[in-house]
Formats: sequence, structure tokens, C-alpha cells
Amino acid sequence: MTSWQAIRLVMGREIRERSRSGAFIVSVAITLLLVAAVLFLPLIFADDDVRYEVGVVGDGNQVVIDAAVALANPPGREVRTTIEVVPFATREAAERAADTEEVDGVLMDGMQIVVRGAGGEAGGALESLLQRGARSVQIESLVASGAGEVVDILTSQPLEVRSLSGADAEENSGRSLIAFGGLMLLYMAVLLYGSLILSGVTEEKTNRVVEVLLAAFEPWQLLAGKILGIGMLGLFQFVGTVVIALVGINLTGVVDLPAFPVDSILVLVLWFILGYSLFAVMFGAAGALVSRAEDAQTVVAPISLVAVAGFFIAIQAVSNPTSTLSVVTTFIPPTAPFVAPVRFAFQAIPLWQMALSVALMVLTLAVTTRLAGRVYLGGLLRFGSRVGIREAFRSAEL
Amino acid sequence: MTFGAGRLSNMIRNQRNEEYRMLELSRLSKRYGAVVALDECSFRVERGRMLGFLGPNGAGKTTAMRSVFNLVSLDGGSVTWRGRPVGQTERLHFGYMPEQRGLYPKMKIGKQLTYLGRIHGMTGAEAGATAERWLEELGLSDRIGDPLEKLSHGNQQRVQLAAALIHDPELLVLDEPFSGLDPFGVETMSEILRSRAAAGAAVVFSSHQLDMVEDLCQDVAIIHQGRVVMGGEVRRLKMDSPYWVIEMEMRAVDTGRLSRLESVVSVDFDGYRHRIVVRKGGDLSDLVSRLDLGGDVRHFTFSAPSLSELFREAVTG
Repeated sequence: MTSWQAIRLVMGREIRERSRSGAFIVSVAITLLLVAAVLFLPLIFADDDVRYEVGVVGDGNQVVIDAAVALANPPGREVRTTIEVVPFATREAAERAADTEEVDGVLMDGMQIVVRGAGGEAGGALESLLQRGARSVQIESLVASGAGEVVDILTSQPLEVRSLSGADAEENSGRSLIAFGGLMLLYMAVLLYGSLILSGVTEEKTNRVVEVLLAAFEPWQLLAGKILGIGMLGLFQFVGTVVIALVGINLTGVVDLPAFPVDSILVLVLWFILGYSLFAVMFGAAGALVSRAEDAQTVVAPISLVAVAGFFIAIQAVSNPTSTLSVVTTFIPPTAPFVAPVRFAFQAIPLWQMALSVALMVLTLAVTTRLAGRVYLGGLLRFGSRVGIREAFRSAEL
Repeated sequence: MTFGAGRLSNMIRNQRNEEYRMLELSRLSKRYGAVVALDECSFRVERGRMLGFLGPNGAGKTTAMRSVFNLVSLDGGSVTWRGRPVGQTERLHFGYMPEQRGLYPKMKIGKQLTYLGRIHGMTGAEAGATAERWLEELGLSDRIGDPLEKLSHGNQQRVQLAAALIHDPELLVLDEPFSGLDPFGVETMSEILRSRAAAGAAVVFSSHQLDMVEDLCQDVAIIHQGRVVMGGEVRRLKMDSPYWVIEMEMRAVDTGRLSRLESVVSVDFDGYRHRIVVRKGGDLSDLVSRLDLGGDVRHFTFSAPSLSELFREAVTG
């Protein structure tokens, strides 16, 4: 049997047994409920009638506005949203009106939105409402003509947005959402799946099945299979949640994204894989040191603390992505998985820093895996009281 | 010219030894700090035979058995299978039942056995079919979809045995397989081990139940303080023992007088019979006459010592 076959067997068992377990299904359900709650609660709890004044220039505006109003007022909803149309003769006149807040925004030729600035509550909500209106117009015409790609429509912004106070603010609000939401998910996923590794390893030791397994497998194969198997489940859930959240945001328009942030998703996934691997390896070694689940929490406290520290440093980086602390912690492997994606979301990390950070992470991962593998092996077959980390390390000289 | 008949028979014997020599542990050493677990421990297990691995608690039995599966980082010595060092590939053909039993409590027993078959190189279909066959043989067919934790203690033990046997191993290493079994369990276990050995597997198990070992095993190895102090074929060990055992039943024997006789090592009296261990060497008829049997002898046997006596002799010196 090759190592890969052995790893695949362990991986397969983890995926099959865990995906069927109640705890896993509940955790998936709770994550999706949380995402749904964040997306839909603001819609449900909005309780004041809303009225916008929109300046229009040119043709093709009324159809977008009608669609937006229809979307904003579904049957049965008590809160009414109305849009009052203020026609302007020239673009300049309309923009002046927007700048002086005479109108909340300007729609031009049914193609472009002009707003005063971003981040403002009214501006953001109006913009996303008009975007949704325009999107539904597009979809209707698509259904009528039978041409075009639905995916394109769903993942892009139908209306071009121009901000009178500069585009940066606009982009920043979307980016800080990606950064903050991504960070939350990443942190939850790393700790959640890391602790699954911990309990999985301890469990095998507690019920002594580990000796039967080690008679056939090398210890590192067992650990690798476990980390990969649980990691696959984690990745599946993580990517699924991120995609569902983003599609949901685009559809409901709760918040407005500049565009579907494919690059940020890829970076999040990359750092999820790296961060999860590092913490999983450490959790795996820690799990091997104890024979009882009750002891496990004590052993992992230092590891969890590092993750929490990384999380708080990353929150700081959301408001200050180029501070010294943010830059330094980008190069410290246990904090990098949290800080680096946040800085990337703000495009506040040069490529060389990202590359160096990833390289350091991979290097640390390689070293940690070897050390943790040894602790894992040394701890596994010593039952009873907690095994000291040095003792475990020394006893495994294979 | 005479052909070296002796040499020829030696050659044949060596060849057979090569063929039969399955598992060989040679000069294993292992220390845990100041504690010596194994001290040049050596023995071998041959195919088609069962070896009882005996020794007091803490003598190093579990450490020696674990070393077969590379679960111990040895300080010295080697474990070979058919003359070659044991690696992951060799271990696929080994079955192991650790002293601390354990499987996944929440995994269905059918799936669990299938998994254990697969980790020993069987295909999924093969392992599944074999798992079903074993569960049927052990009378657990209807429980195939139950998680292990739902089974009674005895049935869990049965599943554990099936787990060690699912891949039809050529070598079976069982650490105290009889402990915790009721008499029916003991019978099932003995039957199965016998049939595995008869089918050509090499079987080694540790036990404290010496009578059972004497009953089941052709070979024994007795380990004491990490060292094999006595080992080989049970029959040969008995014949080679420097003692005879006399068991007799008669009225009015002075136990004190018997134990003072020359060449008598020990005398036990269980209320009915005297069990006298005597050193070999002297003239038997002389001894018998000196026993001064007189009349009224109801029982008199003359035999090699039991395994328990060999064990005590080996361990206490």
C-alpha cells in the first residue's frame, strides 16, 4: 500500500463518518442561518416608509425606476418605498443637484448612477435598489429575447456607478465588508475545523482504536489523512458559505459590492487552506498528548490564544491595513492567515509582501508538521495522564 | 565413500527452518528512562504453530508485541518476517489485537470491519463481503448496521477479534486475547485461533492462563525482566526439564519426611494428594523405595512438570 492510498483511506473515513454526523449537519445549518440572518434581517426589520428623490436625465430611466419600486414593495410588505422622479435637462444640472443633496442620486439614460458619495446610508441603499431594478429589467429582456448569460447579469453590476466625491470611498465600503466578513468566516472555520482535528485525535486515543490503526499505518499518514479529510469538509463549507453570502448580497442588495470579488475569494481560500493546515497540525499534536477529552482544552489553550490574537490584530488591520503592526504580523505565520487577507481586500499589501508571507507560511508549515508529527507519535501510545510535550517529543525517535 | 548423512539431514532441517521461520524477534532492547522494558529479547514464531508468550506483569510482553508493529522505537535489535525487516508492506499481512481493546464506538460494525479490511489492503468489495461472513460466523449478522457501542461487552470482544482477522493475516499477534472473556468466549477464541494456525498462520498470544497455553500452544516463550528466560517447544521443554513430578495419594504420609529426602525439591499437599517435584539424575527405583510407600496407595503418577511449574522455575530461578 502506498502512502497516498493510506492517506486516502483515512481521509475517506473522516469525510464519510463526519458528513453524516449530526454535529456536522447542525454546524452547517447554523452557519447558513447566520449568513441568511445577516442578509435578510435588515429587510424584515425596516419599519419606516422610505422616500427617495432621484434626478433623471435622458431616456430609459422610468423602466428601471418602476422595476426598483416594484422590487422594494413586494405584496404584503407594510413599509412603502417610493421614488420621486425629478427630471433635469442636462447632466451638469443634475449633478449639481446631487452634490447639494437636492436629490439622493441621479440616473442617466438608464445606464449610469451618479451619487454624491458612498457609505452614506441613503446613497448606498438607493444605489443597490436601482441596481436591482436594472438587473430585473435586464433579466426580463433576456427572457424575452433568449440571448445572453444569466450568470453575467447576476455577478455584475448593470449600472455604472460614479461618485462625485471620488471612487475610493465607494470601493472601500465594499472592500471592508469583504475583509471583515471574510475574516470572521476564516477565523470561525480555522478554529471550528481545528478543534474537530483535536477532538478526532483525542477520541481515537481515548477509545484506543489508534493502536489498531497504527499497526497498519505510519503515524504521519494517519494525521495527514485526518487533516486532509476534515480540511476538505471545512473547505467545502467555507467556500459554500462565502459564495452563498456573496450571491445573497447581490440578490438582496443589503449591501452594495463594487463587483463580484473573485480575487478576494481566491485569496481567502488560499489563506484558509494555509491557516487551517497550520492550526490543524498543532491541534493534532496537542490532541495526541491527552487521553481524555476533558484534558484537551488545557492543552490547546496556548494555540487558541494565538488564533484569537491573530483575529484581533486583523480587526485592527480592517481600519488600518498599512500600520506597522499589520505589516509585521503579515510575516508572522500564526497571525498571517488573518491579517494578510484583510490587507489584500483593501489592496493594501504589495505583491512581494504577500508572496513572502505565503512562503514563510509554507516553510513554517513544513517544519511544524515534522515537529508536530513527532509529538503526535510520541503521545499516541502513552495512555493515562497527560503527556508532556517534551516527553512525547523525546520518546519518538523514529 | 560414505555420504554425510548427518550433513544431509542438517541441510534439510535448515531448509525447513528457513521455510517455517516466519516472525523472528532478535535481541530487542528498549529502555524507558531507568526502566528496562526489553533486554536482548529474542524468540521466533513459526507458521502453522501457536506460541504462548508468558511472563509476569511488567516483564515486557506488550512492548515486545508492539515492536512487531513498529509501535516502539527500539534501542536495539530487529524484527524480521521471513528473513526480511518488517515494513508497512509486511504489516499488511499481520493481524493485531492490542491489550487495550478499542474500535470506533459510533461507527457501524459492518462499516468498521470493512474499513479495517481496507486499511490492510483489501478492496472495498472484498472487505465488505468478508466482514459479512465474519459477522455471520460470530452470530452478529443482524447487528451489522449497529454502532459498536450498542453491543454488549462480549459481542464487542467478538467484533474486536474479527477486526484482527478480517484480512486473513499470515501472522496473528494477540495481547491477552482471553482476558475478560466468559467460558463461551474462551471457547470461541480457542477454536478460531486453532483453525487459523491449522490454516497455516503463525499465531502468538500472551496470557496468564498457563493451563490454557499448555492446552493450545506447541511453543512457548517465557519472558522475565525483558529477557526470554525459557523458550521452545512445550513438549521438549518438559522433557528437558531437570525435574520429575510425582503425584500420589495414600494415607498417613509425613510431608516433612518427604521433603527432607534427597533430590526432592518441593512437596505440596492439597488435602488429597501429594505433589512431589524431584530432581532428575538419581535412580528412580531407589527414590521410590526411599519414599517408603507402604500400603494403601490409591494413586501414583510420574510425569514431566506442568507448564506452570516450568514457568515458576524459569521466573524465580
